[in-house]
Amino acid sequence: MSQVFAPPPDIDRLRSRAWLAAAVGIAVSAGGFFLDRGQFFRSYLVSWLFWLGIALGCYAVALLHQLSRGAWGLMIRRALGAATRTLPLLLLLFVPIVVGLSEIYVWARPEAVAADEVIQQKSWYLNRNGFLLRAALYFLIWMGPAWLLNRMSLRQDAAADDRTFRRMQGIAAPALGLYCLAATFASVDWLMSLNPHWYSSLWGVNFIGGHAVSAFAFIIPVALFLAGRKPMDEQFQPRHFHDYGKLLLAFVMLWTYFQLSQLIIIWSGNLPEEVTFYLTRTEGGWLWVSILLAVGHFALPFVLLLSRDLKRDARKLAWVAVVLLVMRWVDLYWQAAPAFAHGEGQHGLHLHWLDLSTMVGIGGLWLAVYFGELKKRPLLPAFEPYLREAVADE
Amino acid sequence: MSDPLGKAPIVAPGHTAGSVTDKISSIVFERTPRWWWAAFGASFLLVMMLLHSLTKLLFTGVGIWGINIPVGWGFAIINLVWWIGIGHAGTLISAILLLLRQEWRTSINRFAEAMTLFAVACAGIFPLIHVGRPWLAYWLLPYPNTMELWPQFRSPLIWDVFAISTYATVSALFWYVGLIPDLATLRDRSVQRWKKMLFGAFAMGWRGSAVHWHNYEVAYLMLAALATPLVVSVHSVISFDFAVGQLPGWHATIFPPYFVAGAIFAGFAMVLTLSIPLRRLFRLEDFITLRHIQNMAKVMLATGLIVAYGYMTEIFMAFYSGNQFEEFMILNRIAGPYRLYWWALILTNVLAPQAIWLRKVRTSPALIFLVAMFVNVGMWLERYVIVVTSLSRDFLPSSWGTYSGTYWDWSLFIGTIGLFLALIFLFIRFLPMISIFEMRTILPGAKGNPE
Repeated sequence: MSQVFAPPPDIDRLRSRAWLAAAVGIAVSAGGFFLDRGQFFRSYLVSWLFWLGIALGCYAVALLHQLSRGAWGLMIRRALGAATRTLPLLLLLFVPIVVGLSEIYVWARPEAVAADEVIQQKSWYLNRNGFLLRAALYFLIWMGPAWLLNRMSLRQDAAADDRTFRRMQGIAAPALGLYCLAATFASVDWLMSLNPHWYSSLWGVNFIGGHAVSAFAFIIPVALFLAGRKPMDEQFQPRHFHDYGKLLLAFVMLWTYFQLSQLIIIWSGNLPEEVTFYLTRTEGGWLWVSILLAVGHFALPFVLLLSRDLKRDARKLAWVAVVLLVMRWVDLYWQAAPAFAHGEGQHGLHLHWLDLSTMVGIGGLWLAVYFGELKKRPLLPAFEPYLREAVADE
Repeated sequence: MSDPLGKAPIVAPGHTAGSVTDKISSIVFERTPRWWWAAFGASFLLVMMLLHSLTKLLFTGVGIWGINIPVGWGFAIINLVWWIGIGHAGTLISAILLLLRQEWRTSINRFAEAMTLFAVACAGIFPLIHVGRPWLAYWLLPYPNTMELWPQFRSPLIWDVFAISTYATVSALFWYVGLIPDLATLRDRSVQRWKKMLFGAFAMGWRGSAVHWHNYEVAYLMLAALATPLVVSVHSVISFDFAVGQLPGWHATIFPPYFVAGAIFAGFAMVLTLSIPLRRLFRLEDFITLRHIQNMAKVMLATGLIVAYGYMTEIFMAFYSGNQFEEFMILNRIAGPYRLYWWALILTNVLAPQAIWLRKVRTSPALIFLVAMFVNVGMWLERYVIVVTSLSRDFLPSSWGTYSGTYWDWSLFIGTIGLFLALIFLFIRFLPMISIFEMRTILPGAKGNPE
């Protein structure tokens, strides 16, 4: 199969829309920055984590595919790969978080640390330099293998080469392990430390499970877009979407399993330093966000994704994916935002327009870069050994 | 479909439906090999030891064990968790790998499922005898009674009653339903009349008609779907037994996923422990190929890494938490009175499996067997470390204590290993240890497979 699967020219249209969204979002957010610096940084963190979650999820799913093969992964490998090439942009977008560190994190405010014995005990881990050094290390761990694999994947466009295939598999196994390690510590640094007194050892795997949901919730609409246009319209089949649906369902259930385990253990243990996490999230408006999450991130998609017909209908599946994508933001907001109000006597739910504008700004920028990367390469690696099997009729 | 990279097939070349059936059913019909008598005899002696110890226990009480205050959970709970964990690989192989269309599961699923059943049987003994008065164990069930007795549904120990009994029921059904077509094959091949009658009765009138096969496929898939959540739920509930308490070293949110990974890790180690010698003894290398062994070894490595991740997270969180009791718990494990157990645990469960990264180890069944033996020991040590170190050193130094197992603790534990092996040996002697009809479907030429 020496056909070249050139990306459809329509991508440019999506790209220019993304640029427009980026321009509007960034302009509005910049205005917000001058009006309310603290709010800007807090909203920014959640939005950044949302888009980072998609990129990292795509990276992890690509590694998983590399290890386990399977037709489902080959069909979207280039779409996943394009997302992994956005990691440098996300590193750049990390800069505002560094700038606003003391606005976001209590432990980065010397006066707050001086008044808090628990944070002082944790200062061996929660300190500015450690935070920055670790962030650099995480990005190195993620971007290094991603860069290598992207380069090797390109080779499979040119010639049949089984050695490349094997070497990619060899890189993927340790890379996946390292990704999990880095993501675990990143989840502590970026999210858990918002509430420096609180800890839960499940936090890291929950972060990783969220990435996997984000990846499929994002890639299914992308696959739908590609499946409607040449040259991929002849390659994508209902069975591929059936597999994405199953994987999305599996990861939704995994996310729920983590959340429920954490809830049962903390609620039953009822320790004062732990249970506050759930107490603040069942008070006032937050109760409704918690319920929304249980319904939108689990019950609704779970019931819908059980249907075989729905999973094989790309358009319907994409709707479920979009709902889950929205829920990914709700989940991150639910994890992060109650901690911001901590100590200021306002535990209630306060949505801010900056939450939306930073999402649009970062998202527009990210999508513009993503579509640019997606356009750069053929959509299927022509000389991948398992390609024929992947696109075979049912 | 032949593999583009020339990977080894999952059945050695040259086999036909006839030769597969002959080979597997001959194990049941041939004269009993001499080694079987020796192996079964040895395990039977251990069963006698188990019965002796159980008798002693029932007459005397749990005081013959090493348990005390504060270490009220000793070997009984350690062994329960160990055995239940071992069972998980059988369910994973038979149910999840079936749903994931992993064809290599076919030659190992039958005895992995049998292993699950026997492991659950061994596990079930321990909570029963641990309650002290096993004849009152039915009090754990919610039933209307005049004593106004009702189980405490907020306790995970009650969830265990339901989780484990459901698990045992579904595993038994799954195993039996999968056996029916093969029982019919054995019926048809039996020469003696009584064997025909016996296999025939258990085959429940299977004739192999299209309707039979259709119903069978539907039932089997549905049972697989029912068994799948059990792989996760049973060991999660077991982990809740520890995690919902407040004891440092028990109260950790990572417990459910890390226990489930540990269960699959232990289970694959046990499947490898059994299948590597058995394929050799019965010359089944054509069916349980090196590729099977390698795949299982890789699953063992992957789940072992998750377990190692669990250990690491526990240690990190203990120091991150700033909680002095959590910190003490970890330091006590590493350098306290039970440090030997902890270091042996790290050696057997974390370091030993890393050998599988090496191709040389991965292609040698003998070395994989060795690693699997390490893991069998390691997973028992893990539960020992969790149960004993945490209970013996809790919040108040005045309530600390020490623990060690007595002769009766060990004899009961080793006795259940004997029971498990005896059941396995009986199983491979009287029933087809590899699914005959499923093996036929993965042969080249069958059901759309190219020749």
